Amino acid sequence: MPFAAFKWLAVLQDWQVFAEGFLTTIALSLLGLLLAMVLGIFFGMLGTANNKTLRFINRVYVEFIQNTPLVIQIFFLYNGLPHLGVILPVFVVGVLGVGVYHGAYVAEVVRAGILSIPRGQQEAALSQGFSYWSAMRHIILPQAKRIAYPPLTNQAVSLIKNTSVLAMVAGGDLMYHADSWASNNLYYGPTYVVTGLLYLALCLPLATYARRLERKLEVSL
Amino acid sequence: MKKIFGLMVSLLVLTAFVVTGCGTSAPTTASKDGVPADIKAIKDRGVLKIGVKVDVPKFGFKDPKTDKVEGFEIDLAKVIAKKILGDENKIDVQAVTAKTRGPLLDNGEVDLVIATFTITEERKKSYNFSDPYFTDGVALMVKKNAGITSLKDLDGKKIGVAQSATSKKALADEATKQGVKVSFLEFGTYPEIKTALDSGRIDCFSVDGAILFGYLDDSTVILADRYTPQEYGVASKKSNENLAKLVNETIADMKKSGELDKMITKWGIK
Repeated sequence: MPFAAFKWLAVLQDWQVFAEGFLTTIALSLLGLLLAMVLGIFFGMLGTANNKTLRFINRVYVEFIQNTPLVIQIFFLYNGLPHLGVILPVFVVGVLGVGVYHGAYVAEVVRAGILSIPRGQQEAALSQGFSYWSAMRHIILPQAKRIAYPPLTNQAVSLIKNTSVLAMVAGGDLMYHADSWASNNLYYGPTYVVTGLLYLALCLPLATYARRLERKLEVSL
Repeated sequence: MKKIFGLMVSLLVLTAFVVTGCGTSAPTTASKDGVPADIKAIKDRGVLKIGVKVDVPKFGFKDPKTDKVEGFEIDLAKVIAKKILGDENKIDVQAVTAKTRGPLLDNGEVDLVIATFTITEERKKSYNFSDPYFTDGVALMVKKNAGITSLKDLDGKKIGVAQSATSKKALADEATKQGVKVSFLEFGTYPEIKTALDSGRIDCFSVDGAILFGYLDDSTVILADRYTPQEYGVASKKSNENLAKLVNETIADMKKSGELDKMITKWGIK
């Protein structure tokens, strides 16, 4: 009976184990998201540059990161780098891992957002004496932001879920604590239901928010 | 926001209903010919399904050359198959890990788990365990050049253990007794722990001694100390009580006749 009542009670009794992991997952997600945004906006703009080399750098980053599994990237940061003499704390491995990974996806969203703004906008700005960067900042990015917002929110949702990969390298996140607790006493039934609901509690509001943004966008277009 | 909250609550309630609904299983009753239902199911099927380890040399190990799973625990499975089906070759072995062995028993994918499964009071609430067929101790593997010779030297260091293994508690108790402070990192599989030891993420790899020997290489050494005896038992689904009884009788017979000791000597694991 994987779902016997006493197993549910045991989960409730040890709620602190799950709370600890939940907080780590939230911290990982916030910092990872921040890094992903910074990297994404930077590389996204590179992707729309006129300069060929800059566009090439964008392609290398995006294609390399998007076409290798996150698990391998995390595993490399955790077990590969130490052989090169760099031992990062596991929390940093997590932030770097999901941040760089989702940064590549954010870069594509940002690039698409910028490209969706008619070229005339930029030409008009330049003809009015704006520099390339100030045209970006005052004319293009504010308009691109509206287009990019809903897919960005979806990226945030996947980022939160992907922090669970950290469980593989003893990352102290929610999934790690759930695995550890459930495999010790084998009360896996309620454990994973509760863990799933905790992830749902983080992701569902975000996803709903994204949908609302999308609807608003349709109206304004 | 209110809507989302309402949705979450209804989801929670729904899961609670679903899981309590499927949580009960029919008790096993003897059929007409006197053979209990759980054993009859195996007889009708004609094969005994066993969950074993495939990465623990001498216990349950898949030889990459022959692709055959062999070891002490497979031999034990054969004896039980002979007792139920009259033919020791009528077994169907399936690889399990520390994490999958519980669920596989619950959903009936395997009849028995014989996979270096340590008996604990907590686990007995979920599964039937036979009397122990083997007793091992938790051992420590460290890097040769680390200069670590005992648990005391591990003060302030990190120890890698396997999820679902009882070594963490055993070592934590022993460390407290000796006044040593250690921290634990848990990994899903043994190779992951060895990789973490190689990369310097952890200072010590600790699981049951027998398992540890499978990962010994030129750069590592296993310390002589053994902590807290770990008793391995054959596990079955909680409702399959008659099967559990039969397994227990088989093991008791093997102990009495000396067959179990012979097997242990054959595999060289004592």
